[in-house]
Amino acid sequence: MFISSYRVTKFAAQNFWRNFWLSLITISMLVLTLLTVNILVFTNVITDRAIGFVEDRIEVSVYFHDYATDTSVTSAVEYLRSLSQVRDVETITADEAYDQFVTRHAGDEQILSSIEELDSNPFGPTLVVKAYAAEDFELIIDALDNPQFSDQIREKDFSNYETLIERINDATDRIRAFGVVLSAIFLLIALLIVFNTVRISIFIHREEIGIMRLVGASNWFIKAPFLLEMMMLSFVAMGVTVGVMYPVVALIEPQFNIYFGSESVGLVQYFAQNGLTIFGLEFLALVVITMISTSLAMRKYLKV
Amino acid sequence: MIRLKNVSKMYPPNVVGVNGVSLHIPAGEFVSIVGQSGTGKSTLAKLMFAEERPSRGKIEIGGWDITNIANKDVPELRRQIGVVFQDFKLLPKKTVYENIAFALEVAGVAPGRIRDVVPTVLQIVNLDEKAHRYPKQLSGGEQQRVAIGRALVHSPKVLIADEPTGNLDTLNAREIINLLKKINEFGTTVVLVTHNREVVNRLKKRVVVLEDGKISSDVEEGRYKL
Repeated sequence: MFISSYRVTKFAAQNFWRNFWLSLITISMLVLTLLTVNILVFTNVITDRAIGFVEDRIEVSVYFHDYATDTSVTSAVEYLRSLSQVRDVETITADEAYDQFVTRHAGDEQILSSIEELDSNPFGPTLVVKAYAAEDFELIIDALDNPQFSDQIREKDFSNYETLIERINDATDRIRAFGVVLSAIFLLIALLIVFNTVRISIFIHREEIGIMRLVGASNWFIKAPFLLEMMMLSFVAMGVTVGVMYPVVALIEPQFNIYFGSESVGLVQYFAQNGLTIFGLEFLALVVITMISTSLAMRKYLKV
Repeated sequence: MIRLKNVSKMYPPNVVGVNGVSLHIPAGEFVSIVGQSGTGKSTLAKLMFAEERPSRGKIEIGGWDITNIANKDVPELRRQIGVVFQDFKLLPKKTVYENIAFALEVAGVAPGRIRDVVPTVLQIVNLDEKAHRYPKQLSGGEQQRVAIGRALVHSPKVLIADEPTGNLDTLNAREIINLLKKINEFGTTVVLVTHNREVVNRLKKRVVVLEDGKISSDVEEGRYKL
């Protein structure tokens, strides 16, 4: 068994090298298919990061009246923090609000003089509420309608990012759908090319196959080199894809970092952490698909 | 050794290959199957090594009923039957040694055993000094001897030679027939399919004549007569 396996591997490797250009074309198509699938994975990661990035910046500002008591502000903070949807609550006191206003309008003499003319601080305390997900904000705003503090609250300001998130999702869905269609097309072409590679390989080796049959080679021994050769091609294609993906991701990550501000998108880190699983699964799927295509070609053209 | 009972082979739509052939070839016999082109000689040979399945009848080789042999069992049969053809069927990119060793390699034989068997076979076919030549560097007779050597590596009980002298001149043809006789003397049953009159007449062995797919004559020590 070991000797036969060694010989099958040797024949498969010989087929691989002797039909180098055919192997190269097959590998190229498999690489294109894998790259398309990986672009889909890449798009998913970027989308998740973009949505997370936007959600991090969504907040509700709750402005209290200047007569609001510290007790009612504190109880509002405690109430909000008790909600499972709330990630963080930041309190800005009336004095801090006043200072922030002055700083913000430092160059506007008219506004500054107007506010100075007032006897007292016109600002009340403010709460900046952050949620875990964009869809939670409506619930948080509704919760603040609680009669316990509603008469103390002057205004609730929700910078609505939902439209932006919807746009990201829409764009991503379109890219994803396009990617799936493109992957399917490449996959189909790859399958046809694998089928044709096996067919040509059988044709090239028809004499050898005939002699193998004549001298009593088992059907397994005749078929196995073709299956193994396709497995080798899949392995090389996967290697090339990984070799292309890592440098490209490393190269374009800084561009995304600029877009997302100071934060790192963590694409390289993502692929470093999940690469083995992602590429391992892709390789398994590729092997299964090429094996099916090879078996179909052998069933049609290899009479043993 | 070989027993055919009322064997017929039909090809679609209505072509007769062999028709109701019954034949018994005992172990160790040398039989020539002769006949004009298209009389079913090669079809009969193909039925014996399961390249074709009969449409009717029964075929036994060494007590093994191969009438409806499963594809998976064919390799086992082929290791017990050596087959030689007119066109040699050698691999041009392999040397004489490699061509003979190939038959053992594909059967999963260990390298040590291959190193033992191949030189012995090369001596039998008298090619031990040309072991590292390629087929194109050999004469037709020598190429046929390589093919016979390859057919012998499994020590088959039966050797079927389908027109082995068809591509050879008289001298080379005689050499091949002498080699087949030598193999037969070692105890291997030889079935020679030929239309070479001189070969058959010199052999003075059993001759089975086929006409229109049927046996028209079966003589113990026959001559070529059509």
